[in-house]
Amino acid sequence: MAEIMSFKVQARESSGTGAARAVRRTGRIPGILYGENIVPTPISVDAKQLSEQMHRKSFFVTLYELDIDGKKQRVLPRDLQLDPVTDIPLHIDFLRVGTGTRIRVSVPVAVTNEAGSPGIKRGGVLNIVRHEIEVICRADAIPQRFTIDLDGLDVGDSVKISAVKLPEGVRPVIADRDFTILTIAAPTVVADEAAAAAAAAASGTPAEAEAVSAAGAVPAAGAAAPAAGAAPAAGGAKGAPPAPSAKGAPAAKGAPAAKGKKK
Amino acid sequence: MLQPARTKYRKAHKGRIHGAAKGATTLHFGAYGLKAMEAGRLTARQIEAARRAVTRHMKRTGRIWIRIFPDVPVSTKPAEVRMGSGKGSPEFWIARVKAGRIMFEIDGIPKDLALESLTLAGSKLPILTRIVQRMGEE
Repeated sequence: MAEIMSFKVQARESSGTGAARAVRRTGRIPGILYGENIVPTPISVDAKQLSEQMHRKSFFVTLYELDIDGKKQRVLPRDLQLDPVTDIPLHIDFLRVGTGTRIRVSVPVAVTNEAGSPGIKRGGVLNIVRHEIEVICRADAIPQRFTIDLDGLDVGDSVKISAVKLPEGVRPVIADRDFTILTIAAPTVVADEAAAAAAAAASGTPAEAEAVSAAGAVPAAGAAAPAAGAAPAAGGAKGAPPAPSAKGAPAAKGAPAAKGKKK
Repeated sequence: MLQPARTKYRKAHKGRIHGAAKGATTLHFGAYGLKAMEAGRLTARQIEAARRAVTRHMKRTGRIWIRIFPDVPVSTKPAEVRMGSGKGSPEFWIARVKAGRIMFEIDGIPKDLALESLTLAGSKLPILTRIVQRMGEE
């Protein structure tokens, strides 16, 4: 059940880039209040008060009662723009909500009882696939979080949405499939050792083997990783940095050295 | 080390890095991440050194995501060669990183270990970095 907190804001006269910057210079954060078929109202909030609230895990699922120069309005924070470098808030959106309003909202996932999971005890890795679950529910009954108990979960086990007991009136936005929320993955050390052994057998040197196993352990680097590991084995025989190639992976084996202009 | 499997052109212009990152400025995969606080060119070796520092400190548990890729070839001229006679040959790969970019993300390890690991990773890189965590975790 959503708790209701109060938030003191001020209406602001003008809108636009220059006006918003002027507001920020005074130590306040510009924002907008919209919804309920009422004309949007530009507002500003105290930067310190906002930064205290925004770091709560349930910020976007908490109803606030805005005090706009003495006028009360029930709202839900919908969006928060941050500076890409400093992560200082730049602008905030609030949505007006009525009593029976149904909304789409992302509810955070929390895990408990990690010590009770035999998979994690054995070195498995808790892989949270979805840190938030998007649900449709009544605005005054937003779950603060979905708590998942890891008790008894072993390596290879996963928790899907069907295993989570949703409160009445709350349904997930993704309704056509039983999506995964978290899994207990096998420890990467096993995969690393296997890859290292395979690479060592292929190339013969431990250093190269480590490079291959390392690349294999990087999910984001997925496709290019094996080729990346293979190239130094061929090109870097003399300890020189591996020369990049333009002609594809096969050509990476020393092709730039042959084709590159010596000046 | 990371490098492209194949590229359309062998050599690239030096280029300049302007502005702040437009995407990849928030955590998408893990609970903790390393954010670039200034722009710079990161070589494949530096990225690999940072990755190794993290995985070794994590004792190879947990997961790591690398969200930058060195896809720009850098050429150099051989030693004791006069100027002119064309561009040198490609020697290494770099990733152009803008300020605000999340470069590494990790998950599946305790907070203190994650912060230590990312501190080590940041010290391998030639730019200022900052450790970030998911909003609401602080």
